[in-house]
Amino acid sequence: MNEAAIEMDHVFKTYPSRISALSDVTLEIFPGEFTFIAGPSGSGKSTLLRILFCAEKPTSGEVVVHGMHVTQTGFRKIHQLRRTMGIVSQDFKLLEDRTVNENVAFVLEVTGHPRKDAKEKASEILRRVGLEERGEDSILALSAGEQQRVAIARAVVNSPPLLLADEPTGNLDAKMTVEVMRIFADLHQKGMTILFATQYTGLIKYFSYRVVQISNGRILDGKKVDTSKIGEAKAGE
Amino acid sequence: MMFFLRYVMRRTFQSMRGNLFPNLITVGIIAVSMLIFSTFTLLAFNLTNFLKIWEDKIEVVAYLKRGTPSSEVEPLLKKTRLLEGVELVRYVSPYDAMAFMETKLGRQKSLLEGIQPGVLPPSFEIQLKKEFRNSTKIGEVVAHLKKIPQFEEIQYGQEWVETFSVLVQILRLTQWILGGLLLIAVIFITSNTLQLTVSSRREEIEVMHWVGASPSFIRVPFYVEGLIQGLLGGGLAILFLLLLHQGLFLYIPPSVQVWLAKIPVLFLPPETIVWILLGGMVLGFFGSFVASMRVLKYK
Repeated sequence: MNEAAIEMDHVFKTYPSRISALSDVTLEIFPGEFTFIAGPSGSGKSTLLRILFCAEKPTSGEVVVHGMHVTQTGFRKIHQLRRTMGIVSQDFKLLEDRTVNENVAFVLEVTGHPRKDAKEKASEILRRVGLEERGEDSILALSAGEQQRVAIARAVVNSPPLLLADEPTGNLDAKMTVEVMRIFADLHQKGMTILFATQYTGLIKYFSYRVVQISNGRILDGKKVDTSKIGEAKAGE
Repeated sequence: MMFFLRYVMRRTFQSMRGNLFPNLITVGIIAVSMLIFSTFTLLAFNLTNFLKIWEDKIEVVAYLKRGTPSSEVEPLLKKTRLLEGVELVRYVSPYDAMAFMETKLGRQKSLLEGIQPGVLPPSFEIQLKKEFRNSTKIGEVVAHLKKIPQFEEIQYGQEWVETFSVLVQILRLTQWILGGLLLIAVIFITSNTLQLTVSSRREEIEVMHWVGASPSFIRVPFYVEGLIQGLLGGGLAILFLLLLHQGLFLYIPPSVQVWLAKIPVLFLPPETIVWILLGGMVLGFFGSFVASMRVLKYK
């Protein structure tokens, strides 16, 4: 059996205000899995993802990502962990004073790649998300769906094995959601492990991916789908 | 390595260009602070130099008691020459003293008419060895001279030397106290400006955190920004000080200029200038370091 890409073992997260965000979460995600983390707003989806990319520390429990113990990862090692994952958020977090290509190339530049190589690689990844013609455009000239595609391109440009997406379709209409979901499905088919947090259960039903239900910080159901079906999902239209 | 340096310089100049106004304010404040510090350094340097020149010319005059028989002068000269620290001794008779005064008074020498040379006491002008020409060592020589009964009075301008030494010490103390206060102020101001810069680039830094940019990729450009601000501030301070130094003679009365011409008013030596520039850079660096500790934590 493959070693899990993500292991969460009896993880609790309680904020100083005594609000419990996660309660006894135990979860295993295997390489190549596409997993929906589904639950209503405030259920703990974002906290779970934030713990995985070390933006928050759990109150107790063990979290291992790609063999690295997140709870024991010091300040000087966090960036090494983050390089193994791409992060996509609902609000895109794109740099408005830069072009589309510059936004994507920025990731490579700040992780030690020469500028010229970064630009070429950015163009290549923009082609994969269907934005090859928009490379020199300003971010502000793009639609919300296009902006989210740029954010996905930025998240995967350095080929991380894991993609964490926090409500990536939250700000998109149905048509744009389909466009974006196609990209996620494509990335998954190419072997990327994807953790996709969403509150829109309507979206999940179109896919045969694993669904982890979360409510009030507790995992209700984390059944694992038949791995032979991974990649067979079709985006609903 | 070259790639990293190119990256750092590009990011630093992008940041400085993008935050021109806060950067100019910081450079200005560093320049003013360094100018105040440098002015005190220059004053202390010149006063110390003046003290050294004066000490080089220092001479002890030992006045002989009136009525000292001339037969005693020669043995007394020999005795004085043998004292530790004494380099040269010259006997000044009352006639020599009168001639000296006439020369000094020039056209006003008529003032001395009717005054007999006998009124003036004979004296020994004692030149000291170089290592004895300071306020501590000179005291030792004078103590020996005072033990010789034929001398009535010893003059060497001790009070003046001591007062001047104290003045230089006060100036140096003020320089360092002021320097310390300015140091704290500059670090505070630089770190706050850097915080403004960081906050204007908040989104970019957040993305850098997300994508796994190493702490050095995030922080070093801000450190370099602080170093450049410090260097520019220090450089401007030196430039202003040079202009002040050069302009000094343009705006002072000619009578004072004549007096000043005898005392060289020097500018700071090159090594002090280098230290001031390095000091500015260290200040700028600490400011950005403090800011980075506060606002560039990995999130």
